Parts: sequence; structure tokens; C-alpha cells
Amino acid sequence: MPLHFVAPSVLLGLLAAALPWLIHRIGRRRARPVAFPAMELLLRAEREVSARRRLREVLLLLLRTLVAAALPLAFARPFAEIRSDLPAAAARSQSAVIVLDDSASLRRLAAAGGEPVFQLARARARALLESLSGDSDVALVLASEGTPAPVAEPSNDRGRVLGALDAAVCSARVADFGGALRRATQILAGSPHADRVIYVVTDLQAAGWEGAAPERAAGGPAVIILDVGGAWDNRAIVALSAEPAPEQGAEGLAVVAEIVNFSDEPAHKLGLTLRLDGADVARGFVDLPPRGRARKRFLSTLHTLMGGGTAHDAEVEIDHDLFTLDDRRRARVEVSRGLRVLVVDGDPRTVRTEDETFFLEAALRSGGAGFSITTGLPDELPATTLSGYAAVFLANVAKPSEELAEALTRYVEGGGGLFISVGDRVDVDAWNQRMKALLPQPLGLKRTAAAVPGRAPEGETVDLRPAERLAPLDRRHPLLAGFPAKGDGLASARFFQFMLMEPVPDAPGRSVVLRYENGAPALVASDVGRGRVLLLTTTVDREWTDLPIRPGFLPLMQEAARFLAGAPGSDSVSALTVGQRREIGVGAEDTRIEIVKADGQSRWLTPESRQAAARAAEAHGRRTVTFAETDEPGLYRVRASRADGTVVERASESFVVNLDPAESNPARLADDRRPDRAPAGAAAAAAPKRRLELWHFLSAAVLLAVLAESLLTLRLRRGRVKA
Amino acid sequence: MSDAAGEDGRPATLALDPTDLARLASMSLRARVIVEGAFAGMHHNPHAGTSIEFAEHKEYAPGDDLRHMDWKAVARVERYYIKRFEDETEMRTFLLVDASASMGYKRSGVSKLEYASYLAAALGYLLAQQGDPAGLIVFDERTRQYLPPRTRGGHIRDLLLALEGAYAAGRTQPGRALAHVGELADRRSLIVLMTDLLDAPEGADGLGNRLRQLRSRGHDVALFHLLDPDEVELPFDELTEFAGVEPDDARRLLVDPRDLAASFARESLALRERWRLACLEAGVEYRFATTATPPAEVLRSFLFDRGRARR
Repeated sequence: MPLHFVAPSVLLGLLAAALPWLIHRIGRRRARPVAFPAMELLLRAEREVSARRRLREVLLLLLRTLVAAALPLAFARPFAEIRSDLPAAAARSQSAVIVLDDSASLRRLAAAGGEPVFQLARARARALLESLSGDSDVALVLASEGTPAPVAEPSNDRGRVLGALDAAVCSARVADFGGALRRATQILAGSPHADRVIYVVTDLQAAGWEGAAPERAAGGPAVIILDVGGAWDNRAIVALSAEPAPEQGAEGLAVVAEIVNFSDEPAHKLGLTLRLDGADVARGFVDLPPRGRARKRFLSTLHTLMGGGTAHDAEVEIDHDLFTLDDRRRARVEVSRGLRVLVVDGDPRTVRTEDETFFLEAALRSGGAGFSITTGLPDELPATTLSGYAAVFLANVAKPSEELAEALTRYVEGGGGLFISVGDRVDVDAWNQRMKALLPQPLGLKRTAAAVPGRAPEGETVDLRPAERLAPLDRRHPLLAGFPAKGDGLASARFFQFMLMEPVPDAPGRSVVLRYENGAPALVASDVGRGRVLLLTTTVDREWTDLPIRPGFLPLMQEAARFLAGAPGSDSVSALTVGQRREIGVGAEDTRIEIVKADGQSRWLTPESRQAAARAAEAHGRRTVTFAETDEPGLYRVRASRADGTVVERASESFVVNLDPAESNPARLADDRRPDRAPAGAAAAAAPKRRLELWHFLSAAVLLAVLAESLLTLRLRRGRVKA
Repeated sequence: MSDAAGEDGRPATLALDPTDLARLASMSLRARVIVEGAFAGMHHNPHAGTSIEFAEHKEYAPGDDLRHMDWKAVARVERYYIKRFEDETEMRTFLLVDASASMGYKRSGVSKLEYASYLAAALGYLLAQQGDPAGLIVFDERTRQYLPPRTRGGHIRDLLLALEGAYAAGRTQPGRALAHVGELADRRSLIVLMTDLLDAPEGADGLGNRLRQLRSRGHDVALFHLLDPDEVELPFDELTEFAGVEPDDARRLLVDPRDLAASFARESLALRERWRLACLEAGVEYRFATTATPPAEVLRSFLFDRGRARR
């Protein structure tokens, strides 16, 4: 570490360091000679005090020499150039935005027993902040998705930025560098400084950079990355699902965990633990090849744990590594196998595949959904006790009798669920007359959009009209919440014929779940009494549509059955990733919803205080509140307060939040994707050295030496006065 | 002039400082002044002090020896007093004055040799007044001058002249002087040694033995330990290079005396205490004085204590 001086000529003053010694020598020469008879006494006295006296003299001489030497040294303004990992650009006057990566991956430990990488990142950001020139403006932005910027405008108040930096905590969210860099660029857009720099303090995990452009925009701020990461190994549970296990009996449950090894080293006998409702129920091992993945299937039985409830918390945990956040994953297990569904076949056929309810029954039975299905004919219905069913499906029933209509009305108003699909056999007038109380909208004319493939329209030889398709899905409705945003599985369905609805004024409790592209309702829901009704304006067989053979038909029917039965949605709805919003149903008697977060904190949501949201939700068939603070992985329990003061556990609305698997992948951002590798000019060049001013230390040493010299002299004088 | 209050019931006296004494023209005059200062006020003391043989005054009565008339008392109080003596036998006294180089040290006032001379002169004068023979030995490492004890008329003048002419030189060796006086004193004598006891080669033990020998031979021995005030407290206040004063003493010490003052004072006190104990053990009367003390006070104290001891 070579030493440099701003004013080296002042070092001539170092000659003054010899002054104390010279004065000492001259003083000795000028000592008064005295012929003294009591030399023996004098020498004895001197022997007694000589050690202490000499030490004091030497100390005084040293202190005075130090003062005399340190003063010219301090005035020469010495400094040292030390190697620094901070960029040279930091020394310039500038407007800067520090983008601090607070995504979940930074919660990993830098080393076993060490501190989290986020601490390193924050320390690095602090060092950068302290090295910025005094007239620079700084803002602070966090890189995790959806997190507000702690200092959203350039500030010269360094203490404020440091305080915000110290207060920042590492989130469990995914990184969104695209958004963070856009935000930083916006902040710098209004800066008065010509020099604008974005410093990104990150572990350079590739996940989160998808939305960031690797090229620097013309005239845009320079981007400098301060890398606090490095290669790290990780093993993570990236998916967890629960499904029925018939081989385990009626209450059998299979929990399947998917584990990924992101390391080049294989993992032998990696331990896994299954917990159901917090209790360890199984332990297993799995071997993972390098960069490979494996699935582990646990079998268990729920009945010992159910306690009468229908929703349970399943959790699988693997042996911990440096990143523990993704070593555990949760899922909600919905016990819906107890739901009994009555399917009324309005157009039975001798050929099974041509039967009206063939696809419907297949959909309800498949995938382990666990519905108990009873199939019947319309004539048998009045004799049947409907109250034993969670839902009744009427498929292409021609003309409901008065008795049937009356029985169905009582059934629905009493809390039952009714699904109605139409077809060629439906007598519109009879339905509109007898089922008026149950139909969400009166039935209208049958509309033929195109010829059914393989069958030429009557009177025409060629029909070139395109079939109708569904409009984009509105996933806010709970029935559709489990579908992908683009409606994969439903969007491809073609509708050749469907029934139009008679227009009616908007009514509370009625909502259109699906529409055709032409705007006509495809699936309409309405609340009737304490029950629900769904009306599909086409067939559930391939007579009018090819929907039954599309991938979306199965989940649509299963979710419809659950929706009608008042059961919670599938796993995909009740398992969220960190940061996702959750719609929570509000019962008619609920006044307040309490959500107990994973860390034990409670949040209260009042439907009345969110009237606009509640009204919008009501338009889709039920009252809901939206919970957005899903900021930590874990189980979020839901309770409802009622008007009478009682609080009830809403296990069916409780949900789990898991880490986004993207944060588990330690893959680093490729060099050609790094924004600081783009030709951004000299700003990106890192300086290998940093200047460390030393005159402060020397000045402090002078002050201390003067103080010590004064104290020593004072002590000496006091000793003489006493003597 | 000093007018210090008397201690232990002793009367307050008027006594000249050594510096004032030094201004007087002759040793004879100094001796008289010291003796008078020592005796001033003694008559008012119910426990009258004594000289070597002097006991007390009594009012004159017919038949008393007129030679013992105290004419000064007559002049002072206009009454006739006769001096009474306890022992009418002749008392031989040897005055031993150390004249080594160390005795010549002075920074202000008088040197130890001058001070010892004043004391010896006063004692000699007093003895002569009483008709007692007083001898003088001036010594350093050897006997430099010897006046045998006599009572003839001009003897006191010779003694005072010898004292006036004494000079400080050479190394000290009081043991040899004591040995010499032991040879000279063939019958019971009073031996008064005046020295600074610095750098005595015999040390306290050796000199103590000499003194004990003299005591065993029936001699009455008194030791006046004389020091300069500088040798008691080291009152210097600037960097000083100290050097030995006696011949062949090459010791040097460059020091800030303020650093040593406390320790030096302790060492000086220890030296005095050492000699006091040695004298006590040998049955020798030990008297310490600095050259700043009026000699009359020292003399009076000496005479007073001896008189009291006799009673």
C-alpha cells in the first residue's frame, strides 16, 4: 500500500522532529555545575527514582518527537491507494440509483454458519453509498417484484438513504430487474446531473433479468453491477401436489414432491419429511443425479387427521442446504371425495359414447376428483331425495315437470347446486315457464354458428362459417381462477350451436362466467336462495360443440361441481406463490375476515371497507375480499367474524404460499445478458484502487500525543510540588 | 537575629544568624556574641542551664569569692550575684573540627567549616572564661593542626586564630582524628567532634566503634553533625550537574533536582537517623544542626541539656 502526499514539500518540516531531542541535549549542556558534598545521598536518591524518571523522560521525548513529526506529516496530506471493489464512477459527482437485490435467493447463507448474502449486498451498497462524492444525489430501489422503492427520488440526504438501506429487509419474492431498472431510469430522468448511473447490487441470479434489456438505451443511464454472489449449489422442492390414493383406501392420499438438484454433484439419500397439519407422518429418501430432478410420492391416510374438516395442510421438507427457503413446500389438500353428484341424462343413448352425459361423467370421475356420481333419468328425479346431493347436473332435459321444477327449486333454495346444460331436446317455453325461478336468464333461440363437422347444414351444401369460440377468460371468478391466464384448454373449443338468452336487467347474484366471442353468454351463474345455479348454453356432449374433448372441459366441470357444492377450489387456487393475490370468499353473515399470516401476524379485511371491490366481486357471483400481503411462504389461515360476535375458522378458505421456483435456480446471468457489459462507455470500468485519506488519523494522533504530553507533564509537576 | 521561642521550657534567646555572625570582624567577637546569646535570659529560668562547670547564681553574701562575681548580672539587674560551680576540678576539652573539602560547601550563608569554627570558638571562649583548658584539632584525612588544651592567657587567642585560619581541603577521616585524640587524652576529657559525616570511610559502624572506645576510657564525647540546608532538602530548581567535592571523587550526576528532592530528603533523614542511633549505642551525645541555625541556639541547647543531665 504505497503512501502518497498532496504537498510533499511540507515534509521538510519533518526535520522538526529532531527539535525535542536537540532541546534535550542543549538543556543538558546548559545544566548548572554544582560541586556537591552529599553525592552519596544524591546517587542513592537517583537510584531510587531513576527507572521511573528515565521512563517518563523517554516517554516525554517520544511524545514530543511524535507531535513534531506528525504535524508536518498531517500538513503534507498523506493518502494511500488501496485496492477497492467499488467502481471508479462512484467518486464522480452524479445522480445515482442503487438497485438492491432483495429477492428470495439472497436469503441463502454465503457459507455454512455465515451470514445471509443479503447482508453482504447491503454492506456493499452501504460502502458504495459512503464512497459516492458528497454532492451526488442518490435514490434507493429494491429489485423484488412489487416492492416499493424506499427512496423514490434522488436525495442528497445521505443519512436518509443510509437509514432506508439499513431498514431494508430481504423479501421472499422473485426479482424483477426489468421493472427495477425502468423505475431507476424514470427516477434519473428528472435529475439535474449529467452523469447518471444505476448501481445494481445483486447476486446475478439469472432469474429476474428476463424483463431487463441487455443493451443500454441511447442517452440512458449507465448500469454498473456489483456482484455479491457467486456459484452456489442448491436443492429445492419445486412442486408439490396432493392426489387421492385409492390403493390406500377411501381416505388414501398421495403427496408428490418434485425435487430438483441444481448442483453438479449428485445427492444421495436426500432426506424428505412429510407433514400433514404440522405433524410428521412420513420420512423418505431420494437420490438426485447432478442437474437432475426426482419425484417422491408419499402415501398416507387422511382420516386420522381430518378432524371433520375438508381442507388440510400438507408440507414436504428436504434436508437443508445453504438456501433453506426452498427446502420446504406446502399444499392444501381438499377432501372433496365426499361430494355426491346427481347427473340427470336428458338424452340417453344405447351407445355409451353417444350418451348425453358420457363426457360429463367421465370428467367428474377422472383425475381422482373423488366425486360420487349417480346417474338418473328425468322421470326418476322427483322420487329421489335431492338433499343428499351436493350438486345436480341436468343435461339436455327436454321438459321439466311441475314436480321436478318444484323439487329442484326447494333443493336449490335450501343450498343445493344445479347445473343446466341445453341441447336439441330442450323445450324452451316449458323451461322458461316452469324453471323461471331457477334459470339465471330465460332461454332464447338456438343459434347455429357453423355446421357441425361431418354434418352438412340442412338445405346447404357447404357451410363456410367459422364456429364460435370463447372470449378471453375473466379469471376473477373463482370457478376460473385455476385456469391459465390465456384460457389454455378452453380457448381452442369450438361452438357450432348454442342457445341465446333473453336479455334481463342486471341482478345481484347473477354473473356471466364465460362468453362467446360474439358476446353471448356461454356460462351464467346465479344465486338462488342459499344455493347456486350454473347454466351452460350449449351441450355437454359433442352435439353442438367440441368442448367435451378439449382439455379445459374436465377442470371446468370439476370446478363447476365444487362451485355448486360450495366446496373450495382445487389446489392450484389455494396454493399461491409469494406476491400473488388471494380472493377470499365472504359469507353472507361475515362482517370481517381475519387472515393469520405465516409469521403469526393477523390482518383484518372488512368487506364494507372495500365496497367497490366487493361489488365487483358480487358481479361474479359471490362476495370476496382481496388479500395481497402474501409476502412470506407458509400457511395463511382464514377466520371470519360474524355479526353475532362469533369467530369461525374458514379452513376451506385458508391457503398456502410457496416460494417461486425460479428463485431456487442458482444459474447466473450470462455475460451477454448483463447490462453492464454493453458498450456503455467509461462509466462501467471498475477502478482497482481507491484513495484513503490519512491526515485525519495523523491529526487525531497529534491531538492524542499533545494530550498525553500535557497529562504527563502535569503529573510530573504535581509530583515535584508534593516533594 | 533570631528570637525563636524556647522549647522544652528553655528560655527564648536572642541569637545572631550565622550570616550575621560572619559579618563580625573577628572570631573572638563571634565567640563572645554566641556565648552571650546562649546565656541571654538563662537567669530567668528556674532550671538554670549550666556551662561545663557553671551551676547557678546566688546572691552575694560577705565572704564569697569576688572572682566569681557576675558583673554582667550586676550591670543588668543592679544586684550582686555569685556564680556557683559544681565541680571545681579542671575539665580538659578537645575540640575536633573537620576541615575536609566537603565542609567547605556553601551556596548561601556560611559553610559547615565556618559554622563548626564558630561553635568551637564559642565553646573555647566559654571554657577559657571558666579557666578550663581547651584544645583544638583541625583535621581532614589527617590532623592538620593541633593545639593542646591549656589555660594560659594567650591560648584562647591562638585557638581562635587557628579556627579563623582553617580552610576546607582534603578527604575526611574523622576516625583517624578520634584515634589521635584518644592518644592525646591521657585523663578524663570532653571530646567535641564537629563534622558533616559525609563520605566518612569508616562508616557509622567504624566510627561508632571509635566513639565507643573513647567512652569506655571515661571520656565524655559529643558529636555535632553539621549539614548545609542543601544537604537536607536539595532545594535546587533547575537542571544541575552535580560533582563530588573531595579529591579523587569523580562522581558526576546530571539531573533535574526536582525529580530527586523527595527521595533525597528521605536519604538525608536516614543518614542522620543512622548516626543518631550509632551515637546512642556508643553513649555519645548526638547533636544535629544545619548551617542556617543560629550557633547560639545550638550552644545553649547543648549546655542546657548537659546541665540538666548532671542534675
